[in-house]
Amino acid sequence: MNDRAFAPPPVLDVRDVTVRFAGLTALDGVSFTVTPGTVHAVIGPNGAGKSTCFNVLSGLCRPDAGTVTLGDTELTRLAPHRIAALGVARTFQNIVTTHGTVADNLMLGRHALSRAGFAASALRLPRAVREQREHLDRARRIAELTGLGAHFDSPVALLSYGDRKRVELARALCLEPRVLLLDEPVAGMNAAERARTAAVVGELRAELGLSVVLVEHDMGLVMRLADDVTVLDFGRPIAHGTPDEVRQDPGVLRAYLGTDAPKEDAA
Amino acid sequence: MSDRLLTALTRRRAGLWLLAVLLCLPPFYLDAFWLRIGLFSMAAAIGAVGLALLTGTAGQLSLGHAFFLAVGAYGYTWLAGEPGPGLPPALAALLAVLLAGAAGGLFSPVAARVKGIYLGIATLALVFLGHHVLLTADSVTGGFNGRSVPPLTLGGFTFGADDPEPTVLGVPFGAEERLWFLGLALFAVTWFTARGLLRGRPGRALAALRDSETAAAVMGVDVARHRSAAFVVSSMYAGLAGVLLALAFRRVVPDYFSLALSVDYLAMIVIGGLGSVAGATAGAVFVTALPLLMTRYADQLPLVTAPGSTEGTVGPTEAARYLYGAAIVLVLLYAPDGLHGLARRVRDRVRRRRTRTPAPETVVPSPPQPAAAARPKEHTP
Amino acid sequence: MTGFLDNVLGGLALGAVYALVALGFVVIFKASGVLNFAHGSLLLFGGYLIAVLHDDLGFAGALALAILTTAALAGALDRFLLQRGGQDAHAAHVQTIVTIGVDIVLFTDLARRVGGDLLSLGDPWGDSVTELGPVTVADSRLAAIVVSAVVIAAVFALFRFTSWGLSLRAAAEDLEAAALMGVRLGRVRAGAWCLAGALAALAAVFLAAFPAPGLERGTGQIALNAFPAAILGGLASPAGALAGSLIIGLTEALVVGYQSDLHVLGEGFGDVAPYAVMLLVLLVRPTGLFGAKGAARV
Repeated sequence: MNDRAFAPPPVLDVRDVTVRFAGLTALDGVSFTVTPGTVHAVIGPNGAGKSTCFNVLSGLCRPDAGTVTLGDTELTRLAPHRIAALGVARTFQNIVTTHGTVADNLMLGRHALSRAGFAASALRLPRAVREQREHLDRARRIAELTGLGAHFDSPVALLSYGDRKRVELARALCLEPRVLLLDEPVAGMNAAERARTAAVVGELRAELGLSVVLVEHDMGLVMRLADDVTVLDFGRPIAHGTPDEVRQDPGVLRAYLGTDAPKEDAA
Repeated sequence: MSDRLLTALTRRRAGLWLLAVLLCLPPFYLDAFWLRIGLFSMAAAIGAVGLALLTGTAGQLSLGHAFFLAVGAYGYTWLAGEPGPGLPPALAALLAVLLAGAAGGLFSPVAARVKGIYLGIATLALVFLGHHVLLTADSVTGGFNGRSVPPLTLGGFTFGADDPEPTVLGVPFGAEERLWFLGLALFAVTWFTARGLLRGRPGRALAALRDSETAAAVMGVDVARHRSAAFVVSSMYAGLAGVLLALAFRRVVPDYFSLALSVDYLAMIVIGGLGSVAGATAGAVFVTALPLLMTRYADQLPLVTAPGSTEGTVGPTEAARYLYGAAIVLVLLYAPDGLHGLARRVRDRVRRRRTRTPAPETVVPSPPQPAAAARPKEHTP
Repeated sequence: MTGFLDNVLGGLALGAVYALVALGFVVIFKASGVLNFAHGSLLLFGGYLIAVLHDDLGFAGALALAILTTAALAGALDRFLLQRGGQDAHAAHVQTIVTIGVDIVLFTDLARRVGGDLLSLGDPWGDSVTELGPVTVADSRLAAIVVSAVVIAAVFALFRFTSWGLSLRAAAEDLEAAALMGVRLGRVRAGAWCLAGALAALAAVFLAAFPAPGLERGTGQIALNAFPAAILGGLASPAGALAGSLIIGLTEALVVGYQSDLHVLGEGFGDVAPYAVMLLVLLVRPTGLFGAKGAARV
């Protein structure tokens, strides 16, 4: 049921995207290309437009100009649920889980991949019951993969902060995504939790070959995981390149630190 | 572990069967007064389950439930009656439920776009406009005086009192006795389908909509479609409840389907605990039975006087309304998960006391928190 | 033509009274995110107090005392009941339903006291009328228009020029940020409820005055027509509430006035016309005429 995860993901191409809110330009001509199977980090100081960028990618925000394409499909005109169905999954900066258990949340991630409608579920038709069971098995596997196996039936509200963030990650994975958008996946976590999440993201890329777009303040994590980095400042792209190139870019240093020397874990 | 699960499941199933058998007994032992309380409670429970799905699970505040109940009740009466097409009553009942669903569907342009409190007031409009139509469309609705409801017949058996009353096991089987079993069957259908919905894919999608529309959308839930679908399904349950109520009352009048009725249903799901089938049922029984019981036992209650006393006294219906108004306030402020949550907490406590040493891997939330407090902070505006 | 002017004046008077009630909804909603379903009962409470007190205190004294008491009741309701539920968006929804429970209790009690009676509020206008050119208009209606206009202007000034008004607008902008203001927000909220209660008590006077026969148990239900008025304008917009109220008042008066030409819509359509108008507006603008366009923010 997750065949598409084994095909290489299509190219995600962001072209000249501009977003304005009531006179304020949140994104100004942003372009970048996510090469299939790579981790692409989008970094920048607070208010640089990173989250707006994610909202455009996942269809929550329609750009005033520019296009986003996934393979041959243009995403800019699609509703969020259509984009999700194409295999673009995301997490949120502040945790957005729903009421209920970890299993409930992960099963929500299976929504686009399952069929059972109102009538089939109400009448508990055999195919609806079977489908539910199959998807529950897969969700449990994903929970184990992300280290949530022991909490599968626990209410999300009772989990620790780090575990709840991981529920979001696992839920996004339940979509069997081809492109995974992670909005600050380790923010607020302690060192051990960070390492664990970083390891999971690394494994995902290696094993499933999916593309990851990462917004993160933890420069250590970005430098370790990212293949490419795009730097935004006040909605404008100010640098592109490998982590090493970006690290030495004078414009980036200025944006982050005034004119001071490079320093890791700047945020 | 799986052994224990199996035992638990078997015990649960046995419990359900026992409950079903017990619910079949009242017609043989109780008089019409109690049967009517039961019947109205079952009808209310069916409607309340529908509203629980919409308001409790999907988070769409509706004050328009009375309208959809009216569509079911009047739909049946017209379809099965004269004037009207005079269809076979069973078919009319089915069509009335579908009609109520269609009415919910017609409201979907509003339901899909209007949110929160705005939606609550928009649904209020349904009640007022619906009431107006019931009063003015005389040829269909009978106007102010309403219409009498043709009894339901199924395969030659009439759920009414016009036959010579047969006796079953020495008990005369009048309208109440027969309708009891009809109500029980319809309630069973409601219980089965609603729990299937809630535990299945649609239920999860609706709950996700309530908790965060953005999260639901990026997880692949078609927001507008599900918001509308919640209305359609909820309206169908309301329609079914309306049909049963019409049969129980034997006459439908416009004034019954007023804003107060909508508020009653809202009270049911709030008192029962939002979003659960068992809670909605408990709330429905509470709100329905309370005024009837208080009226019956008015002379034995302290502070309550029988109707007809002088000014400054509290009659039974008023006392019932005080109580249930206060119940709404108290439940929401002090036990937001309602009767259902209260029962669960009591059960947990009893269970914990029974197993003195809880198994180490069991997650015991302590102290037991009300749902609202444990709820993760909402992030959308 | 005279008939038309009559209807327009009647509609304006009705709209002015609706505006007092709708403004109450808006003030409460801005401060607490709650839609107050107990508003009709508060109105009835104010009216009932005037009816009971005016023999001893005179109309003005009774009115003043009723306004103060209703304001205090509304403020206490918020402070000691609703505010226990917290301040976030979810809590606001819960509190909205709490007000339904409060309404049931309050209304049951008042309805029991009023019974089937028609109570006079002892207002000074009685059934006197004034000739305004071609039309004859009841003094109570003129009073409704004038008093409402003055009071509403005062409320707008309160919004704009006092620190309370500023806090209120801040709370409406961002409940969460304002929640960080702690105790003060609680006071701003309770203040808003007091103001709304006072407006409701004042509205009761005009709803019970001529040509209405007096205060009855159903008078509070008339306040329900201010729901569409408030929604129509956008619940968070005082100016919207004003516009909505006038639209609803005029619609109602004109539909009633031209009843015979509108018989297709059925007798008594005037009572429900506000809701029909509201539904139409919501179809086009889901958050009302003046409502902010709800943008999906993350």
